[in-house]
Amino acid sequence: MINIKHVVLIFCLLTLTASVFAAKATKSDAEESIQSAQQLWDKSIAVGHEWNTVKPLVAQAKQAMETNDFAAAVALANRAAEQAELSLVQAEHEKTNWVNNLPK
Amino acid sequence: MKSLLNTLTVVVMLAVVSIANATPEQDKESFQRFYTERFPDITMEDFGNGVYALDQDARNQWEAMNDFPPYEDDLEKGGELFNTAFANGKNYASCFENGGGNIRQNYPMFDTKRNTVITLELAINECRVANGEKLLPYKKGELAKIAAYMTSTSEGSPINIVIPNNGKALAAYQAGKQYYYSKRGQLNFSCSNCHIQNVGRKARSETLSPALGHTSHFPVYRMKWESFGTLQRRFDSCNKQVRAEPLEGQSEDYRNLEYFLTYMSNGLPVNGPASRK
Ligand code: HEC
Repeated sequence: MINIKHVVLIFCLLTLTASVFAAKATKSDAEESIQSAQQLWDKSIAVGHEWNTVKPLVAQAKQAMETNDFAAAVALANRAAEQAELSLVQAEHEKTNWVNNLPK
Repeated sequence: MKSLLNTLTVVVMLAVVSIANATPEQDKESFQRFYTERFPDITMEDFGNGVYALDQDARNQWEAMNDFPPYEDDLEKGGELFNTAFANGKNYASCFENGGGNIRQNYPMFDTKRNTVITLELAINECRVANGEKLLPYKKGELAKIAAYMTSTSEGSPINIVIPNNGKALAAYQAGKQYYYSKRGQLNFSCSNCHIQNVGRKARSETLSPALGHTSHFPVYRMKWESFGTLQRRFDSCNKQVRAEPLEGQSEDYRNLEYFLTYMSNGLPVNGPASRK
């Protein structure tokens, strides 16, 4: 039988490990995250679907990096990457679905 | 049963493909028909007045303001700039047909030698460079004033955009069309989602204007800008509204978009420059 205490314990352990990992974000983690956000962003520009939410997030990530707040830099870069990725999904979707918006 | 379904699928697919690939002429007819059927009381000409063709209260205010148009000084400045000789003694008039008068209705045009769309603003800057002058920034400032002056000399002339029956010209038109109908930005809206599918409704506190006549009166003096802005500056504003990053002035995508959108208003009289909120 699962004891509620066990569940709580496991939950606490998991949270602890996660926070240890998060706190451990290094400079190279931050650089890596920013770089991959940048790559996705460049792709979105290339396909003509750049969202204006990406540029400020990348800028903020770089700023966090400069103040050695690597965890924040990673988090911001990941948000930028996510936005850029969604814009690529949009671009792909619109390749065929733009015709649905013609006047009827 | 299955084969009937298959046939149906093919028929539907063909229909979709054929709308996407209609000729520019067919596109223009269905585009204009959409608005004339939707707003049977609005005259063709009045579509060029944008939101003021739909909203009488806004129109009253706008007409009162136009007793002393807010752009008068800038328009006059545009005329002076247009008529000022370059360092080499030549002037803008030397670059254009008819000395640059009454030509706005023909822009953008497709240059079949360079295989690209030439907007009036691009042509103005190319005229400068050909005469040893430096480029002016696009979208606002002196260039917008000069374009506004040139537009004023076309008052009443029907928009007459030509799409040569050549692969490159049709591709440019098609690219502009696809840009117009594609959803973009974080809010996932296409130009048409606002100006066609939601025309006449309110977005925030603003009534959405018909896209028919959208290009007839640019550059526009916007109270918000306190200056003239070109059509591409307005594209920027609309892109930002849906959280899409605006493009460079005179980028190929914007020129193609302007080509498509202006062609949709063929036949409407030029009625610019104009003022807007
Ligand atoms: C979220 C809705 C929305 C979207 C999407 C949108 N616009 Fe607009 N647009 C507006 C609003 C609001 C105005 C100002 C009121 C009006 O004239 O409709 C405007 C004004 C304009 C005007 C000026 C109208 C005039 O009378 O001078 C043009 C041109 C225009 N839009 C073109 C576009 C193009 C091209 C796109 C796609 C790139 C686009 N719009 C996308 C909301 C939108």
